[in-house]
Amino acid sequence: MSQLEIKDLHVSIGEKQIVKGLTLTVRSGEVHALMGPNGTGKSTLAKAVAGHPSFTITSGDILLDGKSILPMQPDERARAGLFLAFQYPSEIPGVSIANFLRAAVQARLGEGEELDATAYYKRLYSKMDMLQIDRKFTSRAINDGFSGGEKKRCEILQMAMLEPKFALMDETDSGLDIDALRIVADGVNALRSTNLGVLMITHYQRLLGYIVPDHVHVMWDGRIVKSGDKSLALELEAKGYDWVKNELVPA
Amino acid sequence: MSDVTETESLSEPIADIIDNPVSGIDQTAGNFSYKMEYEFDAGTGLSEQTVRYISGVKKEAPWILEFRLNALKQFFAKPMPTHWATKDLENINFDKIRYYLSSGQKPKRTWDEVPDDIKKTFERLGIPEHERKFLAGVEAQFDSEAAYSNIKDVVAKQGVIFVNSTEGLREHPEIFRKYFGKVIPTGDNKFSALNSAVFSGGSFIYVPKGVKVAMPLQAYFRINAENFGQFERTLIIADEGAEVVYMEGCTAPKFSTSTLHSAVVELVALKGAKIQYITVQNWANNVFNLVTKRGVAHEDAEIKWIDCNIGSRLTMKYPGVVLKGERARGEVISIALANDGQHQDTGAKMIHAANNTTSNIVAKSISVGQGRSTYRGVVHIPKHLKGCKNNTECDALLINPNSRTDTYPAITVRGERNAVQHEASVSKVSEEQIFYMQQRGLTEGQAMSLSVNGFINDLARQFPMEYSVELKRLIDLEMEGSVG
Amino acid sequence: MPDSVSTLSPAATDSFTDEMFATHLASVSHLPAWWLDRKRDAWARFKTLPLPKRTDESWRFATLSGLKLDGYVMPKAVTSAELGHASIGIAKAGKLVLANNRLVSHEPISAELAKRGVIFETLQTALLKHGDLVKSHLLAPAPKQGSEKFTALHTAFLDDGAFVYLPQGVDLMESLAVFHYAAGAGAAVFPHTLVIAEQNARATVVDFFRSAGAGAHFACGRNDLYASHGAQLTYVAAQTWSRETLSFQVNSTVARRDARVQSLNLHLGGHQSRHESHSQLQAPGAHSEMLALTVAHGTQEFDQRTLQIHQAPHTSSNLLYKNALLDQTKTIFSGLIVVDPDAQKTDAYQSNRNLMLSDEAEANSLPGLEIQANDVRCTHGATTSRIDPEQEFYLQARGIAKEAADELLIFGFFEEVLSKLDNEPLHDALRDLITIKIKQPAIAAKAE
Repeated sequence: MSQLEIKDLHVSIGEKQIVKGLTLTVRSGEVHALMGPNGTGKSTLAKAVAGHPSFTITSGDILLDGKSILPMQPDERARAGLFLAFQYPSEIPGVSIANFLRAAVQARLGEGEELDATAYYKRLYSKMDMLQIDRKFTSRAINDGFSGGEKKRCEILQMAMLEPKFALMDETDSGLDIDALRIVADGVNALRSTNLGVLMITHYQRLLGYIVPDHVHVMWDGRIVKSGDKSLALELEAKGYDWVKNELVPA
Repeated sequence: MSDVTETESLSEPIADIIDNPVSGIDQTAGNFSYKMEYEFDAGTGLSEQTVRYISGVKKEAPWILEFRLNALKQFFAKPMPTHWATKDLENINFDKIRYYLSSGQKPKRTWDEVPDDIKKTFERLGIPEHERKFLAGVEAQFDSEAAYSNIKDVVAKQGVIFVNSTEGLREHPEIFRKYFGKVIPTGDNKFSALNSAVFSGGSFIYVPKGVKVAMPLQAYFRINAENFGQFERTLIIADEGAEVVYMEGCTAPKFSTSTLHSAVVELVALKGAKIQYITVQNWANNVFNLVTKRGVAHEDAEIKWIDCNIGSRLTMKYPGVVLKGERARGEVISIALANDGQHQDTGAKMIHAANNTTSNIVAKSISVGQGRSTYRGVVHIPKHLKGCKNNTECDALLINPNSRTDTYPAITVRGERNAVQHEASVSKVSEEQIFYMQQRGLTEGQAMSLSVNGFINDLARQFPMEYSVELKRLIDLEMEGSVG
Repeated sequence: MPDSVSTLSPAATDSFTDEMFATHLASVSHLPAWWLDRKRDAWARFKTLPLPKRTDESWRFATLSGLKLDGYVMPKAVTSAELGHASIGIAKAGKLVLANNRLVSHEPISAELAKRGVIFETLQTALLKHGDLVKSHLLAPAPKQGSEKFTALHTAFLDDGAFVYLPQGVDLMESLAVFHYAAGAGAAVFPHTLVIAEQNARATVVDFFRSAGAGAHFACGRNDLYASHGAQLTYVAAQTWSRETLSFQVNSTVARRDARVQSLNLHLGGHQSRHESHSQLQAPGAHSEMLALTVAHGTQEFDQRTLQIHQAPHTSSNLLYKNALLDQTKTIFSGLIVVDPDAQKTDAYQSNRNLMLSDEAEANSLPGLEIQANDVRCTHGATTSRIDPEQEFYLQARGIAKEAADELLIFGFFEEVLSKLDNEPLHDALRDLITIKIKQPAIAAKAE
């Protein structure tokens, strides 16, 4: 049983304050949805938790199983069990997915421990089959020339291979058609377990029809203004973000 | 002063031209000249005597004469830059050029005082009308000297100085001497040395701290005489936080012999200042147009050159910005159109000299017939700077099967904390596009004009309205008969 | 920009004297008269031509003070035992090892291939058996890219090299490998490889340029590739001269109708290396892919000049030159796409990417176009930047430490070029050379 605690977090880019005191706890086995309009700080939150150097945490804390991750480098956070599924995954020409994932899996092994290549490829191929990814993909460069759907499936493939404790999924549904959305959702659902906590960041309710959350939070101007269960997402969908602006945001 | 002489190959009826006086950049509209009796004439050819004559009639301070004589030495000493530039330069005969022609050194403040033929010239070019409509001040140069110079009262009251080079150096040395010849040293190149020796006319502008000049200031350069060389000198200083837009236009009649235009333009944008310098060059296609333009941008300042070259036989011009202060920005927007017998050798220079400076170059050229357009650029980011960025884009459009375009950028980057990117492409107007428009009822020529205007549309929009309309009209004109 | 040192003392070419040339001529007196005449002409040309000057556009940004031609000698012959040649793990149809301009060892092609007319010999051997073939192609005039003085020197002192002839329709599955060594202090070598591929022939030829031991060497080489109608040539050059070597190399490609030539130059060695490469696309369907990878460290300078000349309609070329710069290094890329009048439907691409891995490195880029036909597709691009921080973050976010992430990205940068080689063992061999250089900069010069 693990938990990821975000405590009164303030994040800025340069001089500009984006996240303004956000508190949220995600435990293993839970799926949280964080909803809000564009520009409200959702993606900033995800990147800041993952340790992106462009964002400065001005106050507050992020604890993984009670220990602050703020002093940790992005790769240390990842090895500690955090996974960020990017909204816009980087394209990295020349670095094949196979090489990259092997390096990432290897990085999680202890000093002197060697990767069992046979077992690795067996596991990789089974995950690829689950996500309906062609095996030829492993020799392609990371996200290079991928379609939107391919990129997102590739993110879920990495998540499946790296077995994080917590996954931050940033607008995973954006740019996906129905078929791709279903494949991605099935993949995420297959990974749901008592060992994984998920924070899904999304603008629309659409994804939540496929991945049903346990908790829903509404974010506005850098803070969570309302929390509830899955019905909150439906209410939000029906009433729109003006409802949030007019009724939930303290004047 | 008397008879109007229409020079040879004038294709359009005179009436049409007179009916259309607002045609500052239409090549045919500039194709006329007046037979003038000049009061001041430095004669033909270049020597120390020529320089002393020019300095003498201007009653210049001794330091300026010294400056000129030193420049003359450098001009004679420097070789032609034909190791990288076109051999066509060798066709300039410096001994056959007249270096100074004027009817007096003091410009008139009202059009009524301007001698008739000169006034008529500028009326035909639409200058007084432009002035009334949308300009903060105008200077109209006729051969070597400004015939007319005026600035609107409201602008003058803000402390803006807008005079010619002679007056600037004589009346306001405390402002101008400090920067004169400092942005572009005399020996920068052979033609900057030539200009420094025989310069006359041009605009000296000072915009005081925090003053934002709402309307553009404009200069208009007119060559009237055959075998003449025009060498204006411009220096614009925008003090801290000041903003100014300066526009220049130019025309000359088409003589059978070649004419030389060689200007030096220096810009200084002090902390937080903004200077925008717009050129619409439409010299007749016997003019060698060899111009040196450079600005220094201090901390948080911005210099933007919008450089449009349509006329001339050979233009060599690469406006530059020295990004001297942190966060300074430099931009060059360049449009060139080279028709038969023309070579537009244009481009940009960006010299980064402080951290976090950014520069941007967008160059688009169109080559028609046997026309040749060349992009030449320098981007330099020296050692130990960080956060500098340059982005360069060059696009060439080739209209006819043997139209020509060249691209010669030179990019130097030191260190790992800067980023530059250069891209260039060449294209033609697609037959599909033309066919599509023809199918909708346009002629091939109209379709071609639309396509070409589409190609430069994003840049043309950055011009003041009056100019972009003219630009479009001119392209329509140039595209006629280009097809097939 | 400030003027750099522009003049060189007359002593700068002291190494190559009339006496040295006379001695050389005497040593090769068995060569046919036409070759000796070319040598004499070239020697006269070498003496008349000036050294590059600062005002030479074709030498812009180059460190001219580094081009001193003194302290070099005509080296002594070395034996195979003295050389200690170590081969490389690729399947070879044949191998030639030359050191100090002379043959040291030879693994000939199979009798089967020889019977089909394939020739893989030294120039001098080929001359005896196939004189006319050699004469008609050897040292043909090439487009001028600035190194005329040095190509004249090459012609004057050219002694021996590799000769490859591929008759019509022959398809070599394995590579032909040529090793060119310089050995001994101040050794001046003049490597030469001539490849002639007749109609529909296909082969891969690999040149390795190596120094036996450390020491300042002088290399002045040339390789000429002729691809006839429908021929397919892959040419790879792996340059790992000693760190003190001054090197000039001119690579010439002629592609005729539907011929496809791929060349990849790996530049790792030398103190100052000038490489000129040009492709002439002479008939419709001709295609040339020009690739290069450079890893520069210490104070190395790599000066690369390229020309893609489209002389006929419907020809294509694709150039990708990548440089990784460490320490106080300097690179120059100067490329030019030339489209002749009437070479309509040309499709030409040129790209230079510089990866800055040090704050004291300098990358110069001069990507040029000269186009005289309108119905063409020509683009070029040049970028200079450090490792992309977003890519770095993406890898870190997957748990890969920064150093390991950077290494992945640097190799990814090279892989984009290497992966264009359709020859896995060769690909791996080149990648290994890069790995050695990146990981052990201090000894990379003599590694491999």
